Amino acid sequence: MGEAAHIRFDTIPSFLGASIGDLEDLVPGQVAIAGYFCDNLTRPAAGQRYLARQLRYASRPEKAPANAIDLGDVNVFPLERDKHFSAVIAQCAAVLETGARMVLVGGDSSGLEALGVAAQKVTGADVPVIPVTGGVAGQLSHTQPVILSVDLQELAGKWVSHPRRLTGMSPAKMIAQIDATPGDVIAAAIFGLAPELDIRGGAETRAALAILQAVTERLEKGAG
Amino acid sequence: MSNAQKRLITTGYAGLPFGDVSQCEAGSVGVLGVPSEVDSGPRSGASLAPDALRKMTQRLGTGLPVNGRDLGNLDLTGDWSDVLMQLVTQLADRDIVPIVLGGGSDVALAVLGALPDRPVVAAMPLAWRDLTERPANTIWVGLNGGQPADVWDQISQRTMDWRTARQLDEGHVHFSDMPERALLWIDISVVDLGHAAGAVGLNPGGMKPETLASVIGAMSCRWQAIVITGLAPALDTRGMSELAAIETLNAALHNG
Repeated sequence: MGEAAHIRFDTIPSFLGASIGDLEDLVPGQVAIAGYFCDNLTRPAAGQRYLARQLRYASRPEKAPANAIDLGDVNVFPLERDKHFSAVIAQCAAVLETGARMVLVGGDSSGLEALGVAAQKVTGADVPVIPVTGGVAGQLSHTQPVILSVDLQELAGKWVSHPRRLTGMSPAKMIAQIDATPGDVIAAAIFGLAPELDIRGGAETRAALAILQAVTERLEKGAG
Repeated sequence: MSNAQKRLITTGYAGLPFGDVSQCEAGSVGVLGVPSEVDSGPRSGASLAPDALRKMTQRLGTGLPVNGRDLGNLDLTGDWSDVLMQLVTQLADRDIVPIVLGGGSDVALAVLGALPDRPVVAAMPLAWRDLTERPANTIWVGLNGGQPADVWDQISQRTMDWRTARQLDEGHVHFSDMPERALLWIDISVVDLGHAAGAVGLNPGGMKPETLASVIGAMSCRWQAIVITGLAPALDTRGMSELAAIETLNAALHNG
């Protein structure tokens, strides 16, 4: 590969500026971040699928996490529900089987569903889903595998360009909650935001990016 | 509302079916749009509010805690204010709560004129002189310091209860003389422009949208009519002002 090609490849936007890789590049404990380009299946709202692209463009390579890798987008079949779920589940399971932890970014909450099934397949047991709002009953041991659900619709209206509710969490509160998530967070899904793709979406994009950073750091910690 | 308009908006406010007064039952609500326009000042667009609110509730999937009908928009040709007063009186007599979506403040004055003896809770930055002269005391939510001296005198002499936006934000939300039944007038200009820009009035230092919703929601009053004015949706591309109106209305209906 020539120098010019190298430069072009190096400048492909990635989540948080992380290095770009593939399944065979993953090692146990690494955080694999993948985009989820599907927003028409569960709690559909057009535009949520663009979050991954938006966060890649807004990422700054100088703050790249050392132990994370951008896997690209998972393959989706939004018009063929059954085929879609089996494909996404298989891809998520393949990532988790490497021992890496996985973050799905963007889309609707169907990505979280698929991630839950994949985690169950890989661990052989139900994996509790911890919502970012908290509220999971009972005590979890710090080795209990869990999935973190970060629904960006929980943000208060003033943080987003098309608010659906007046009250809600601030990004700072969400980040604190992410950091305090109990258990061994093996996977996470960040979803529910249809960002404005121009300057009006600046605040929500920065907020979502900070939240992705916090999720990545929480997954890098593993057992909390 | 014309048939063409009804076709564009398939369901009424918050999913209510379109209908007429005869289809409303006692204890329910009748939502009526009155798309009048403000006649002075640089900020306008209040006539767009009723349909914008319907569309917003449709987009968000908002529901109301009570049953009712959406009565469409009032035809503003001729002496609409008399027609509105008759309609409000008719609804109130049948124990149906009129929810009137303005429009400018002339809409609220007609609604309040139809029920002249009832006390009013008024969320607005500047007190309307007419309200200070009603027989029952008005409760003022979110008044700012820009009242004319004679209006302040009237409010003080009659010992009317009032709170500024700052007092409400600081938690001083208890009103000592809350009536059991009252009319509710929400002028969206009570909200600070920095939080929600879609109001016909400028009100720096006004209320936060979430404070407005929580203060009205905490009132134990049974509302006999609710009117919303001063919303100019085109001035707020984010829709926070519409959301403020919708959530405040829902908060009010949860109690009353």
